[in-house]
Amino acid sequence: MNLDIILFGNVTLLDLIVVVLILVIAMLIGKAISLNLRRSLKDKVKKEHLRSVTKMIYSIIILIAFILILPILGIDPSGLLVAAGFLGLIIGLASQSVIGNLVAGIFLVIERPMKVGDQVEVEGKMGYVEDVRIMSTIIRTYDGVFVRIPNEKVFTTNISNLVTHVARRLEYTVGIRYKDDADKAVIIIKGIIDKHPITLKNPEPMVFVKELGNSSVDIMVRFWVPSPEWYPVRRELLWKIKTTLEENGIFVPFPQREVWFKNELEGRLIEDKKPSKVKSK
Amino acid sequence: MFGFHEAPVTIEKDDILISFEKKGDSLLYKRTCNGENVNKILLTESKRILINPIEPLHKPKEMTPYLLLELKRPVVVEPKATKKIFLTFPIEIGIFIIGREESKSLDIMTLAKQKLTLYGEVRGGVICKHYASDVHSSLPAVDPVREGVVELTISNTTARWHEITQVVFNAYGMKIYYNENTVAMRASMRIYTGGIGEIEFYDSPLYKEMSKSIELYTARRIKVATTKFIMEWGL
Repeated sequence: MNLDIILFGNVTLLDLIVVVLILVIAMLIGKAISLNLRRSLKDKVKKEHLRSVTKMIYSIIILIAFILILPILGIDPSGLLVAAGFLGLIIGLASQSVIGNLVAGIFLVIERPMKVGDQVEVEGKMGYVEDVRIMSTIIRTYDGVFVRIPNEKVFTTNISNLVTHVARRLEYTVGIRYKDDADKAVIIIKGIIDKHPITLKNPEPMVFVKELGNSSVDIMVRFWVPSPEWYPVRRELLWKIKTTLEENGIFVPFPQREVWFKNELEGRLIEDKKPSKVKSK
Repeated sequence: MFGFHEAPVTIEKDDILISFEKKGDSLLYKRTCNGENVNKILLTESKRILINPIEPLHKPKEMTPYLLLELKRPVVVEPKATKKIFLTFPIEIGIFIIGREESKSLDIMTLAKQKLTLYGEVRGGVICKHYASDVHSSLPAVDPVREGVVELTISNTTARWHEITQVVFNAYGMKIYYNENTVAMRASMRIYTGGIGEIEFYDSPLYKEMSKSIELYTARRIKVATTKFIMEWGL
């Protein structure tokens, strides 16, 4: 079989076979990459997002193959490439943030600093992760507000995931009066933490005198809780500690300062006078 | 207390008061336990009630399927030995109504102390329900409303001595059996090289005449890889 038969222009039968081969190979490579991506990311990315990403990658591979076959078909792609370059530049500039968000979204999916349902703090917003989309991340704040943060921002900012680890340490500083018994206060606080069903036995809670402050003896209280429970326990125990200490005659003092005068103050006692009645007409 | 009952009925035991009263076509369920009250109206023609011990992992809140028993005295096992010990575990009581051959969990209560703990490291460890248990060489006498007994067969498969201070159970494998005087489970702990323990339950009663409890965890199981627990953070 003569493969040098000219079909049209300078294109021979061999060229046509090469073109078809390149296209078939490109399609196979595209399909293989898409399939692998779908398999490896199926648990990490939503179905519809994954479909869009794989389609886009497949289209890019076919486009590269198409550019490769143009010279074989006798078409000079340089003019086309220049035009495509300009078009790409314009589109790139116009959609800079869109592409940035998209790329950040892909990296977020790969890195997975958070997942749906986690409690996080991103860009100063605290709440539950509702969705990690390809362009943006959705957070429902504790007061129920829907917040959409572009992925570019999410990716470049600090993310605090409050529940990634199974347990979390909470701490308070409780100030008591100097005349109160700090040892007794420590025993009472330890007892409250031990009795609470959600606080963890291990790692062991720590309660100790941390500092002799200006107005109070400061007791440091540290204990661990299962991460999802950190907020209700934190809220409940602080008040429980305060009220139980008070029930035992131990109080949180007001800020106070003792002032000493070098010389005894000279003064006169002013009699407490009742305010005179104002007669109304 | 444990077993089947016919409504109307009132059951009183320690700090627990359970009553099913007939109100027209329905039943009124009332329960008091540790000062906590529950009231429910049951629209049913069925009068069949089941009270049985269930996996002790629902109170105060369902947060983990793992139960860690801390041994009050450590147990040291010689190499290549198989020995049996008895531990105690906390009891939770499940109330079920049975109608048209289908059971429905109405309520769960407990008189046992509630506490959680962490097994392993903060990163990668697991939250467990915690209970401190004495170690017994024979079946101990316990109050079945508060505590059950787990017969644990320890097999040290290694050529080294091992000290056991804690045992972690997976609720998805728990097989609880009961009679009027005893609530019991049977489990095995195999110790492997590197101080790794594998805990598994036997699906058989301690005594022949014991009844099997309804397994709430197994009933809800959708996709569970294993019913065993591998202790890889120390024994």
